[in-house]
Amino acid sequence: MSANPITKDYSHFEDLHIGQVIDLGQTKVTKQMIVEFASKFDPFPFHLDEEYAKKSLLGGLCASGWHTAALAIKACLDNFPNKLASGGGLGFENIKWKKPLMVNDIIGGTVTISNMRRSASNPQWGIITLNFDVCNQRGETIMLMTLNNLVDVRNPSAKLEEA
Amino acid sequence: MTRWFEDIEINKPIFLGSHKFSLEEIIEFNKQYDNQYFHIDPELAKYSHFGGIIASGWHTACVGQRKMVDMLFAEEERLIEEGKEPGVSGPSPGINNMTFRTPVRPGDEVSYQLTITSKRKSNSLPGWGLLFLEIKATNQDNKLVYRADIVGLSKLRDFKPNLKQKLALLLMKIPLFRNLFRKK
Repeated sequence: MSANPITKDYSHFEDLHIGQVIDLGQTKVTKQMIVEFASKFDPFPFHLDEEYAKKSLLGGLCASGWHTAALAIKACLDNFPNKLASGGGLGFENIKWKKPLMVNDIIGGTVTISNMRRSASNPQWGIITLNFDVCNQRGETIMLMTLNNLVDVRNPSAKLEEA
Repeated sequence: MTRWFEDIEINKPIFLGSHKFSLEEIIEFNKQYDNQYFHIDPELAKYSHFGGIIASGWHTACVGQRKMVDMLFAEEERLIEEGKEPGVSGPSPGINNMTFRTPVRPGDEVSYQLTITSKRKSNSLPGWGLLFLEIKATNQDNKLVYRADIVGLSKLRDFKPNLKQKLALLLMKIPLFRNLFRKK
């Protein structure tokens, strides 16, 4: 049994498998959301000013890439089956912004568990690798990223599987 | 904003300033984007291995982005005051090796530092240069909380397109062709 009363019924390391796919659902991204996020964290004019954005490299008002990723993280947490017994994120790799997220686009896509291993230093932890493929409403990939995240092991005394 | 690609200096650390993370802003960010119990509820967070509420790593990283953009605008203002023409920054193609080393807790003061480690002209975007940036953030105890390698875009001042590039730039002004160019 897990010692943590909050996460005891959440998905633990043993409940997950490599290749498992989590659907990110659908999130409509409004101009208000884009401007609110960008004015706080990424106030480049192409995220705030429609006229400027039309003439920029991106061709119109679009979300900050940091915003796209934040929305994808939220969608992953909201759509994770039984919630994840997470011990926090270790970091992200290979973040790539392929296409801009424009006003009124709907983002979705998938997260795939691409790797799982037990922590060598702490038997209480597993480390899962989550590959994000974030798409717009036309099914075009707009962003890719990989997250390594700690997850509770339900039975830490079980032998470590093959590394 | 900022300098032209040609004027950007390599391997010279730039201090971006610091930010004190309040409990309120940690909860506000996480309710919207990272609503795990140890990010939104100080009481429940005590059950986590962190022993209390902590900021989302993504929040720590986003504040770093804001610090960087503020620096670019300040540089633009400085150049205009000196009677010089500022350069143009573009959107980032990507980030790698982003890691969160030490949790950021309410009241922590996080200092951000940016270093441009190298730069080169873009092969796919005529007239633009790529900047390779390293951002590091440390807390008040000088412990590393976050680092990442960010790719940035900056416009070339001395860009003289050849005939092929002139044609490509002309076509990119037409939305249909611009979309074709974006596809990699």
